[in-house]
Formats: sequence, structure tokens, C-alpha cells
Amino acid sequence: MPNSALKASIAVLAALAAALVIAACGGGGGGEAKSGGTLKVLDTAGGVDSLDPGYWYYQSDYQELFTTTQRALYGWKPDGDTPTPDLATTLPKVSNGGKTVTIHIKSGIKYSAPLQNRTVKTADIKYAMERCFLPQVANGYAPVYYADLVGLKNYQDKKASDIKGLQTPNDTTLVINTTKPAGVLTFANGGALGMPCTVPVPKDYAQKYDQGKQSTYGQHQVFTGPYMIQNDGKGNITGYKPSQKLTLVRNPSWDKSTDFKPAYFDRIEETCCSDSTVAAKQTLSGQNLLSGDYAAPPTPVLKSALSSQKDQLSIKSSGGNRYISLNTQVKPLDNVNVRRAIAAVIDRTVLRQTRGGPTLGTIATHFLPPGIAGFDDAGGTNGPGDDFASSPTANVALAKSYMKKAGYANGMYSGPALLTIADNASPAKETAEAFQEQVKAIGLKLQYREVPHATMLSKFCQVPKQKVAICPNLGWGADFFSAQSFIDPLFNGANIVPSGNVNTAMVNDPKLNAQIDQAKQITDNTKSAAAWANLDKQVTSQAYFIPWLWDNNVGLESTNLKGVPSKFNSGAWDFAFSSLK
Amino acid sequence: MTTAYDPTREQPEFALEISEGEGAAIAARSPLELFRRRLRHDRVALAAAGFIVFLVFCAVFAPLIVKLVGVTGPTHQNPHALDSFGTPSGPSSSHPFGVDQLGRDVFARVLYGARVSLEVAIVATAISVLIGVTLGMIAGYFRGWIDTGISRVIDVLLAFPILLFGIGLASACSLGNGCLGGLIKPGLTVVIFVIAFVNWTYIARIIRGQVLSLREKEFVEASRSLGASNRRIIFRELLPNLVAPIIVYSTLVIPQNILFEASLSFLGVGIQPPDASWGQMLADATSIFDTAWWYMLFPGAALLLTVLAFNLLGDGLHDALNPRVGK
Repeated sequence: MPNSALKASIAVLAALAAALVIAACGGGGGGEAKSGGTLKVLDTAGGVDSLDPGYWYYQSDYQELFTTTQRALYGWKPDGDTPTPDLATTLPKVSNGGKTVTIHIKSGIKYSAPLQNRTVKTADIKYAMERCFLPQVANGYAPVYYADLVGLKNYQDKKASDIKGLQTPNDTTLVINTTKPAGVLTFANGGALGMPCTVPVPKDYAQKYDQGKQSTYGQHQVFTGPYMIQNDGKGNITGYKPSQKLTLVRNPSWDKSTDFKPAYFDRIEETCCSDSTVAAKQTLSGQNLLSGDYAAPPTPVLKSALSSQKDQLSIKSSGGNRYISLNTQVKPLDNVNVRRAIAAVIDRTVLRQTRGGPTLGTIATHFLPPGIAGFDDAGGTNGPGDDFASSPTANVALAKSYMKKAGYANGMYSGPALLTIADNASPAKETAEAFQEQVKAIGLKLQYREVPHATMLSKFCQVPKQKVAICPNLGWGADFFSAQSFIDPLFNGANIVPSGNVNTAMVNDPKLNAQIDQAKQITDNTKSAAAWANLDKQVTSQAYFIPWLWDNNVGLESTNLKGVPSKFNSGAWDFAFSSLK
Repeated sequence: MTTAYDPTREQPEFALEISEGEGAAIAARSPLELFRRRLRHDRVALAAAGFIVFLVFCAVFAPLIVKLVGVTGPTHQNPHALDSFGTPSGPSSSHPFGVDQLGRDVFARVLYGARVSLEVAIVATAISVLIGVTLGMIAGYFRGWIDTGISRVIDVLLAFPILLFGIGLASACSLGNGCLGGLIKPGLTVVIFVIAFVNWTYIARIIRGQVLSLREKEFVEASRSLGASNRRIIFRELLPNLVAPIIVYSTLVIPQNILFEASLSFLGVGIQPPDASWGQMLADATSIFDTAWWYMLFPGAALLLTVLAFNLLGDGLHDALNPRVGK
């Protein structure tokens, strides 16, 4: 599960990049939203991962399918950081000391053909959540966020045919019972009830597809959102060719009056996979185009666009960060002062420059990125004030003083070289090579290797047995506005696993673990934010990870478009709110 | 050539050259002198040799040159040579070849890259020549099952997808203490090993062919009938006659090896950062080619000129040593 969370973060980060600095250019340039027309989207990174709502987790899944073709219990308006009831009528009612959550849904919401005569019932949402635990669906987050459901263990062990903790007293009511209070289910620290696992899936229709090795429901799904993937009306998708095209058309069963999404376009055509420079130039000079799943446009394009086509750029904080991981089980990184020395000696401005400079993000002073609950409590942009973490440039004198505290007489490291595994693709490799050069100032010797990104994670950084000392190219993205999705998988010792381990610093402090478990149970927004902020301060002060950048997402739009970036989805365009001018 | 053993015919090619000059004043020229005379007339080969001498000089004195020109060292990163987007700046007085994405001086890196290329070229070529000549001579001289064995090994190695093998081995050995109990260390040694391992086969084949014909020559038979040992025949009779092909083919293998090293480094399995290598610089340059042409041009030109120079010199040597062939 943490693995998938990281995969999510990779996907999210892959599609990342730019700043608070130049906030809110997107959608600018005036012009009223106009209904109709065709939106064209250029993907460069492969497009969506799966058609199955139970699988959707990554930025492109959310952007291209989730917000356009389906409705969940809750959704997010593009500029909102609190959820908006979508299928639900109101925010959930919490009772029983946080262990019972009650939700009512709208009646009369219909599915697309061939189930056009059927309305959405809470039983469909119950099944949707249950199928997220099926191996055929390969969901990445359900075991994390829905872990405390009553009767989950029995269901997973096949001793029960359903999850007892999900009850549907009538067609419009869903009652969720958990074994202990769960903040993620009450929107205290995020919104696991707004994730695609709550997209209704009619059991009697879908069950036959949820068999075998892999569910094929995605290819036969019925839609509730304003659009549907082009299909033959008999439950077979025709508008999708993997890594080539994805065509969305209007869903005749969708009733605008029940939804908060305006859905201006008549048709959305997503094509894959152009070269990122070509795609960026086409989007800027063409018509009806929005950038799809690609990372920040190549620097030359970005540079010229910033000077002459600034109103076609949207630069938003993405809710993701980048950090250098220091393995606390490898000497001398077990010493907090050595870790602080490394944090002090790196030049964050230079590291950011390797990615394209200030447009690509804000220099991080603590672990939680902006936009996440708890960010402000932890000190906001200025951070909690740790001397080793707050300077954007290198502070060699301070670093040496920490090395002296760690017992290195002249402030210089002496000892064996530290195994460092970096990404071999630009711009990550430049970042790592800059890091390699910077730590020489405290005499740190690295046994430095560059490998492909996937190898770096699956063979080295996420495998504790490899004892990789330093991983300079890691990053994390938010699942929703949840601090839990940052702190729990990365710093909770209970989450250390032999492979796919995202607690790369191998942090296992019983006191910290207990505090994390407590914070997860808080169902009050303010208290939750304060608790996570406190944890953020602790992990920053321990310098397990050295955060150095809070990423921005850079979106591009054609001149005749009024693109709307989604705060919830890492600053990527929200197709259901964007329109022609 | 049916006469009995005649010491002057020991090196038949050069003897022929002497007979050509018979009409004019008869001067006995040693084979070395003849070789020099012919090479002196080959201006292209001389120019190539000149360039190689220059390159070796640059590589040996790289630190000194870097200091004299007044640029920063090959691994020194100067963020001020980049703009706020991280775009590198082009050739200027402080950086004659411009800088790369990390603000490292391209001139210094090209210069230090020459060291890598030459080191790989010379060491790997020496190893492959040593192995190739030894096994080639053994196979050609003893024939029989020894020849069959060695030839089949060569066939197998020649059928190897060399680049893929190189990538595989290099990435397998690029971690920790390397492979084979630390014999093949990550970085330069892996590259040298891979190149030597695959390249000896070409030389072995050529030497084997030469030995197969030489061993039937009268002087060898005479030597054998006088009771000379195999060792004496191989080292005293055969080896001197193989000097020409060895020199020519080593010179021709060197550029291949340089390119092979560049390919491996281009693919990221060769020389590891922060050390500079031309192949690795070319790979880095591809992503910013349209803004930083200098980063691809200079290492590319250095690679091209070096390979060209070795090839031209090899051709020249070939012509000078074997005037009857190839013209």
C-alpha cells in the first residue's frame, strides 16, 4: 500500500512543476465561459493507467476520467480545499465518538446505457468500496484509508461476503462503522470519501466482470458523470486505445441540475503520446488545446512562454514535495547531527535551478507542502525555523558545526563512502549531481550510481536490505489535502516492509509511531491540522528527509480556451470546469 | 619461392621492395627505414599522427592546461553561469566552450574526457592485443583441437550482441565492489574489461590466419628441421613477422574502442559522474540541444576528430607496412 501511495506520488509528481510565485495566471485573459465545442488534450506520459474507477489514483486518471465521467460521494470545486457533496446531499454526519459516519445520497441519479433506467443506490457505493479490496481491481489506497472498517478482516479472509461496517438501511442512506475513529472518513484530514472508490458500481451488472485475474469492468462500465467514454450503448467501450486516444462524449443520462460541475464542452479528445516540446508548442500556438499529463514544459518553451504568452500559463502549487532521504540505519546517518549537517550544506536554490528555477516551485523549509492541512500550523512558507532547514543557500559554517557536534573534529567527514542511488534521467540526475558536489564541503564521500527511475525505487531505495544510505531523487504527492498521506506512510515504523518500502529513512521511533496513530483518530479539523503540523515539525527537526522543494504544476492552454486548474488535483486542468472563451 | 632457406627472404615483402630499387644505386634499406620513407610521404597519416600527439599532450597535461586557460575544473559547478531557469550559458571569455546544465566548464570536461577516452583506448587495446595475439598464435601454430577450441570460442564471442552484453555486464558490475570478487570494479574498469573481453577476437582471427600461412614457410620449416623448439619458432620466427599486422590492427581497434566506451557512457553504464567522458556529455546534451548547442558540439567534435585521426593513421600504417595490399 505505501508502494502504491508512492506510485501515486510519482505519477502526481511526474505531472508536476511551478509556483505560488506567479499565482493564478490560469484561466486569465478574460472572456466568458462558453458552452459547447471540443476540447483537445495532448498527453505525453502515456495517458490514463486504467479505465476502472476502482483503480484510479493518479493525476491523469483524476484529470481525464474521474472528474469528467463519474461522480463520487464527494467532489472538489477547482478552487476549493473543502469537499462539495456530489452524490451525497450533505457532509457526513459523525456520531458514536467518531466511529459512525452517516451519509445520505441524492435520489434519481441515473447511469449511462445500458443501465439508463437504473438509479444510483447506496448499495452500489457499498459494492464499489468492497470491490476496491478485490485483487482483480488492484486498488492502491483502500487498504490504507478504509483500514478501520468493521468486518473488513472477515471480508478479506473470505469469511463474509460483504463488509459489515458498510450498511445501507435504505436506497439513499449509507452508514459506515469503524473500529476506531478515522479522520480520513470525516474530512478532518482529507477526504477518503471523495476518492474514486465511492463511484457507484452496480453489483449485479459489474460482478461478472470482476472475475478472473483482472477485472474488465473498466471496459464495460456505466457512467454517472457529465461525460462518458465513447461506447456502443451496450456496455462496450469504443473510444479508448491504450497510449493512443481517449474520447469522451456527453452522457445523456446526466442531469445538470443535480451536479456542481458545469461541463461546458460537448466532447473531449485526448491523444497520446507526443514529444513534450512538440506538445507544449502545439498547445501554445494551436486552438482548443489544454496540456494533459505532462510534466513542466521543457525549459526553453517555458522561458519563451513566460515572456510572451504568460496568460496561457497556469502555475500552481501542486501539493507535492521533493526530498533527499537519509537512511537512519546506515552509519553515520544514524547521528541526527550528521543529517542536520547535510541539510545545512545543501544549496536548495541550486537544486531548484536544476529543475528549471523559481517557476517550478518554492524552496521547502519543512516537510508538508502548501495547501495541505497543517502547513500553516507548521510555520507556513517560512517554516518552523530550524537553522539547518531554513536557508535557501548553503551554510557551510553551520554544517561544519553540526559535524563537530557529531564528533568529527574539523567538521569534515571521514569514513567509508556512502551508497547513493540516483535517477539517471534529466533533470533528476542534474539535481543529484549537484547534491553530490555540494556535500563535498563537509567531506562526504558518496559511492554514487545513477540508474533508471523505476530501478532506483524498486531495486534500491525501497528495499531496506540494500542499505542505500542516500536517495537524493525522491518526492511525494498528496492524495487529497491530507497530511496523513504524507506523514503516516513515510515516517511510521509500522509501515516498514521488505520491498516497496517508502519509509526510506527507516524511521522507527515508538514515540513518533504512537503520535501518528493518535493523529489518525482525530476527527476534528483544527485539532487534526495542529497534530499533523506538530508531527511535521518533529520529522523536519530530525532531518530524516531533507525537503528542498514544494513543487508547482505548470499547465498550458490555447488562446481560445479558458482553462481552470484544479487545486485538488495538484493544479492540473479541470476539464469539467474549463471552457472555450 | 621454391629455393632453399635464405635468410634474406625471411621478410619477403621488404625484400621485394629492395629488388625494385635495383636499377638505380643499390642501397640496402632496413625494413624500418622503408616503412619510415613510405610513411613520410603520407601527409594525411602524418597529420593524423600529429593530432594524436597533440591529444595525448592535452590529456596528460589537462590540469595544467585548465589552469593556464583560467577555466574552472571539470567537476566544479558554477551556478552563476546559468540563468534563473537553469539554462547554461554559451562560449564566453571565462568559459571558452560554454558550460553544461550544472555550470561546469565544457572546455575542462572535454579535456578531461580525452583522458578517459585515451586511457580506455590504450589499456583496453593493449589487453585485447595481448590476448588476441597469444591465442591467435597458439591456435594458428598448433592447429588441431586447440585451434578448433579457440576458433569456436571466437565464433561464439563474435556472435555475441556486444553492445547489449556490454550494457548488461556494466550495469551488473556497477554497484558495490563490482563483479568477480572485486576484479571488475565499477566505472572505468568495467568499461575496459568489457571492451577487452570482446575485442581480442578480431585480432586473434587475423593473427591466426597469418600464422597458418607463415608456419608453412620455408624458414619456419628450416628452423624446425634444425631442431628449434616451438617456443623459439613462435617468438623468434613468427612474432617478428606479425609486427606489421599487429600494429595496423591495434591502430584500427583503438577508434573502435573509443567509440565503444562513448556508447557505453552515452547509455549511462560507462564512466560514472562526476567524471567526464565524451559519450556521457553527448547523452547529457541531447535534452538541451536546441538551447545549448555547444554542449553537444565540442565533445562531439573531439570524439569525431579523435576517431578519424586514429583511423587515418591506421590506414597510413597499413599502407606503409603492406605496400602491395589495399592500394
